[in-house]
Amino acid sequence: MRRILVQVSKELSQTRRDRLSVALALLLPAILVILLGTAISLDVRSLPIVVQDLDQTPLSRELIDAFRASLSFQIVPLAPDRSPESALLSNRAKGALVIPARFERDFRRAAGVSVQMLVDATDSNTSTLVRGKAKAISVAFSAAHGRPAAVSDVSTEVRLWFNPGLDSRKFYGPGSFVLAMSIFPSLLAAIGLAREGEQKTILQVYVSSISAHEFLIGKILAGMVIGAAEWLLLLGISISLFGVGLVGDPSAFLTASVLYVFCGVSLGVLIGAAIPSQAAAVQALALVSFLLSMLLSGLIFPIENIPPALRWVSNLVPARYFIEVVRDALLRGGGWRAVWPAVLAIGAIGSLFYSLAWWRLRRMQLDL
Amino acid sequence: MTAPAPVVIRLRDLRKNYAAFEAVRGVDLDVRAGEIFGLIGPDGAGKTSIFHILGGVMPATSGEIEVLGLPARDARDSVGYLTQAFSLYVDLTVKENLRYIGALRRVSDAEIESRGDRYLRMFGMAEVPHRLAGQLSGGMKQKLALACALIAEPRILLLDEPTTGVDPVSRRQFWDALVRLSAGGMTILVATPYLDEAERCHRVALMHEGRIRQAGPPAAIRDSLHLRRLEVRAADLGRAEAVLAREPTLSDVQRFGDRLDVMVENAESGRVAVAAALKQAGFPPASIAEASPTLENAFVLLLRRLGGRLEVPDFPSSRAPVSLRDRAEIAGYGMNKRFGSFQAVQDVDIEVHPGEIYGLLGANGAGKTTTIKMLCGLSQPTSGVVELAGERKQLRSRSVRGVVGYMSQKFSLYDDLTVSENLDFFAGVYGVAAPERAAKKRWVIEFAGLTGHQDQLTGSLPGGWKQRVAFGAAILHEPRVLFLDEPTSGVDPLARRVFWRMINYFADRGTAILVTTHYLEEAEQCNRLGFMAGGRMVAEGSPTGVKQAQGGCVCVLGVDSPQRALDALRTAFDPWRMSMFGDHVHVIVDGDGKAEAARIRGILEGAGIALLDLQPQPYSLEDVFLALAARNAGAGP
Repeated sequence: MRRILVQVSKELSQTRRDRLSVALALLLPAILVILLGTAISLDVRSLPIVVQDLDQTPLSRELIDAFRASLSFQIVPLAPDRSPESALLSNRAKGALVIPARFERDFRRAAGVSVQMLVDATDSNTSTLVRGKAKAISVAFSAAHGRPAAVSDVSTEVRLWFNPGLDSRKFYGPGSFVLAMSIFPSLLAAIGLAREGEQKTILQVYVSSISAHEFLIGKILAGMVIGAAEWLLLLGISISLFGVGLVGDPSAFLTASVLYVFCGVSLGVLIGAAIPSQAAAVQALALVSFLLSMLLSGLIFPIENIPPALRWVSNLVPARYFIEVVRDALLRGGGWRAVWPAVLAIGAIGSLFYSLAWWRLRRMQLDL
Repeated sequence: MTAPAPVVIRLRDLRKNYAAFEAVRGVDLDVRAGEIFGLIGPDGAGKTSIFHILGGVMPATSGEIEVLGLPARDARDSVGYLTQAFSLYVDLTVKENLRYIGALRRVSDAEIESRGDRYLRMFGMAEVPHRLAGQLSGGMKQKLALACALIAEPRILLLDEPTTGVDPVSRRQFWDALVRLSAGGMTILVATPYLDEAERCHRVALMHEGRIRQAGPPAAIRDSLHLRRLEVRAADLGRAEAVLAREPTLSDVQRFGDRLDVMVENAESGRVAVAAALKQAGFPPASIAEASPTLENAFVLLLRRLGGRLEVPDFPSSRAPVSLRDRAEIAGYGMNKRFGSFQAVQDVDIEVHPGEIYGLLGANGAGKTTTIKMLCGLSQPTSGVVELAGERKQLRSRSVRGVVGYMSQKFSLYDDLTVSENLDFFAGVYGVAAPERAAKKRWVIEFAGLTGHQDQLTGSLPGGWKQRVAFGAAILHEPRVLFLDEPTSGVDPLARRVFWRMINYFADRGTAILVTTHYLEEAEQCNRLGFMAGGRMVAEGSPTGVKQAQGGCVCVLGVDSPQRALDALRTAFDPWRMSMFGDHVHVIVDGDGKAEAARIRGILEGAGIALLDLQPQPYSLEDVFLALAARNAGAGP
C-alpha cells in the first residue's frame, strides 16, 4: 500500500513540474471543449439565398416574406438581368427560390402549384437542411392560407423532448466533453510510462521488488487524480457554456465518470508500456483514442450510419458508452435505469485494458 | 583480504543471447564480500548484460547465477544497481528521488530521511536537497544516483560505468566514497572504461566478446605482462614512432603528447635497442626513462593478442599538408564572458598553432564550454578578441566554417538516419567535392569498423562506434581547425588508441586541434595543456611541464590498514590530497616530499599504524588537476 502511495505522489510531483503535462492536463482540454462545443453546429442560420419572383403579386411577396422571416435564410439581392443559377455558380447564394408566373392565380384556383428551390448541394448536410426548412415554410404558408398541403388520414404531431430547440450546442457540447475526457487522461498516462522506458528509469523500478500491480495501480491512481481535476474543469465549462445542467440522479454519471477515467488511464498505461518512446506513444494514442472516439462513438456521426461491417468496432470504443451516459445526465435525466448497461460496459473495457497492461509488465524485467 | 571472505556473487557458465547474437558466452565469476571488483572491456563485451542479469532485471539464457546464495531476482532487496544511463527522475528533486527509490525498496520514512542526509553529507551534496535532479552537474547526478542505490543499504552494489562524463575531481570523490563503502563491508562490482579507476579495484576481470579473458589483482595483471615500459622523449615524435614501430623486439609503441611509451621485455636491452634504432634513423640522443607498465598497457596488449585492430586505413586525403606557419589558427586574447552578474570566463588567452594538439582541462563549471563556444564563434565574448583560421570578424562565415570541424559528445549525428545517410549529409553540408566523397565515406566506415553495416540506423549503434562515425563526419572535409569536445568519452582503450592515431595524423598534416577531456591519461596525448578553474586559465604547458611546474609529489604509502591510516591523516591533510588505491594510500604533498614524508611517518606512528613502505612518486596529471582545482577553488566567482 505504501509503495502505491509513493508511486502516486511521485507521479503527481512529476506532472506538476512538467509544463507540457500541465498544459496537456488542463489548458488544452479546456480549449478543445470550448472550440468544439461552440464551433461545430449543424444548425442552418442566415443561409444566403436569392429569389426570382416571376409573379410579382401580393401573394408571391407574402411567400418571400415567409422565407425572409425564417432565421434559416437570408435573402440577398439578385440583379434583374442575372439568372438565379449564376448566383449559385458565383457562390453568392447557397439556394435560389423561383416563384413561377401565375403563382397567385393558380393558388387561388386551387390547382396544384409549385415553387422551385434550387439548392447548392456541394455540402450535402446543409442542402438536406435547406430542403427540409424550405418544405416546412411552404407547408406552413399553405396552411396559413387555408390550404393544407397534403391531407392524410394519420398525421404525426412531433414534439421534441430534452432539447426542444434542437440546439446543437446541447448536442455537441457534451460530445466535446467526452472527447476531451477520452484524450487527455490517457495521453498523460502514456507519456508518463513511455518516459520511464525512454529514460531507462524503469530499470530502477525493476530493480526494486515492487509488483506490477502496485506499480500500475500507483500510476493509474495518479492519472485518475489528474483526470478528476480535468473532469471538474470541463464539466464546469460545459455547464456554463452550453446551457446544459445535471438533470436527475447524478450517481450513475459519477460512477461512469470514475470508471471512464480509469479506462482511459489504463489504455494510456498499456500503450506507454508497450511503446517505450514518448513520441511514438503519443501518436499511437492519438490514433486510437482520438480517431476512434471521434468517428466511431456516435459523438458526431450517429452509430446507425456506420456501415455494419465496421459497426461492431464501436462496441469496443468506451467513448461510445460514456457519451450515452453523459447525454443522459446532462439532457435526459434517466439515471441508472437508462444507462446501467453502458456503465457496465465502460467498467468491463477498463478492466480489459488494465489486464492487458498488467500482462505486458507482469514480469517486471527487460524481456530481451 | 586476509581471511578469504565468503563468495557473494557466483556465476557459472553464464550465457545470454539476443536473437542470434551471443552477448555473454560462458562467464564464470566469483566475487567475495567486501571486494571492489572491476569489470573492464571494450564496448559490446557483454558487461551491461551481466549487470542486468545480476540486478535481476533481465533473465539469462542459461547458466547458474547466485547472488547472496539466491537467484538474482530474489536477491533484489539486497542489491543496489546504478545503471549506465543516469537512472534518476530528472523532474524530481534530490530529496524526492531519494524518497521514491527508498519507499520502493521498503525503507521506512525515518530511515530514508536519516540515511539520505548521511549520504548527501558524505558526498558533499547537503546544500542542494531541493534542487531538481535534472539541474545537477554530471558528477552530482552520479553521486545522487549512488545515494539512491545505497538508500536501501544493499549488501552488494552494481555500478555500470558510473563515472562516464564526470570530471576528475568528482570522479575522485566518487571513488573515495566507494572505497569507504567497501571498507564498511559492502561488495562492489563496477564496470569502467577508465583504467586508472580499475587500478583502484581489488580485483579486475578483462572482458572481450562475452568472455572473461584474464582476472586478478591489478598488480598481478600488470606483472603478468613480463614487460617494462620505457618513456622515450625525442624530437620528432611522429617519425620516431614510425621508426620504433618497425623494430621487431619492441612489443608496443604508443605516442603521447610529448613522449613515446615503448613496451619492452627487458629494460636494459630495450633501452639499447631503442637508442640504436633512433640513432640509425638520424635522431639526436633521446631521453629514455624506465617506468612500470600500467593496466592500460596490459589491456591493450591483451586485446591485440586477441585480434584487436590498431591499424587505421590510410585516409584518402585530397589536401596537401599545411606548412607549419607561425600564426595561430585558433586564438583568443583577453577573452571575458559574463552572464548577468556571473563571470563565466575571465581574461583567458589561448593560442593553438597549426599542427598542435591543445588540451583544455577543467572541472565541470570551470568555463571550458563557454571558452570553446567563444573560440568557434558560437558565442560572442563580452570583451576580448577571437581569431579563427585567420578571421577575426565573421567567425561564422561560409569560408571559415568550411575549414573548421567540430565534434561534440552530445550533438554529433542524426540517430534516425543510417550511418551512410549521416555521412552523405555531412559531406554535403561541408561541401566535400563529389569525386572525393565516395572514397572518404568508405574510409570513415572502415575506420569505424562498420564495413557492411553502413545501412544500420545510427541510433542503434553502441556509443563507441557512434563516436567514431561522428569523428569521421567531422573530418570529412579535412578541416584546418578541429574542435573535439570529449571525443572519446565512453570509448574503450583500444578504440581510444585508434582515435588518437587519427588525431595525430591530422595534427601532423598541420591541423590545429583543440580537445577537451575528463580523462587525464588521454590528456597526456596533447602537446600542450591548459587548466581552467573558476573561469581563469590557471596553468598551461606541456604534460611534463605542468607536472614539474606544480612542484609537488605523491607519497604512496603501503600500510596494514589503509582505512585507519586515512582517518589518522585526515587531521593533518586536506581531504582532496588523500585517496585510497586498493591497499595503498596516496597523499599529494607540496615540495619534494621529504619534509612531508617525515610528518606522515609521525602521524601514523602516533596512531599506531604500521607503515610498510613510503615512496615519493612524481605527480600524475590527475594529481596536478586535483591540486590546481583545490588551490583555485576559492579564486573563482
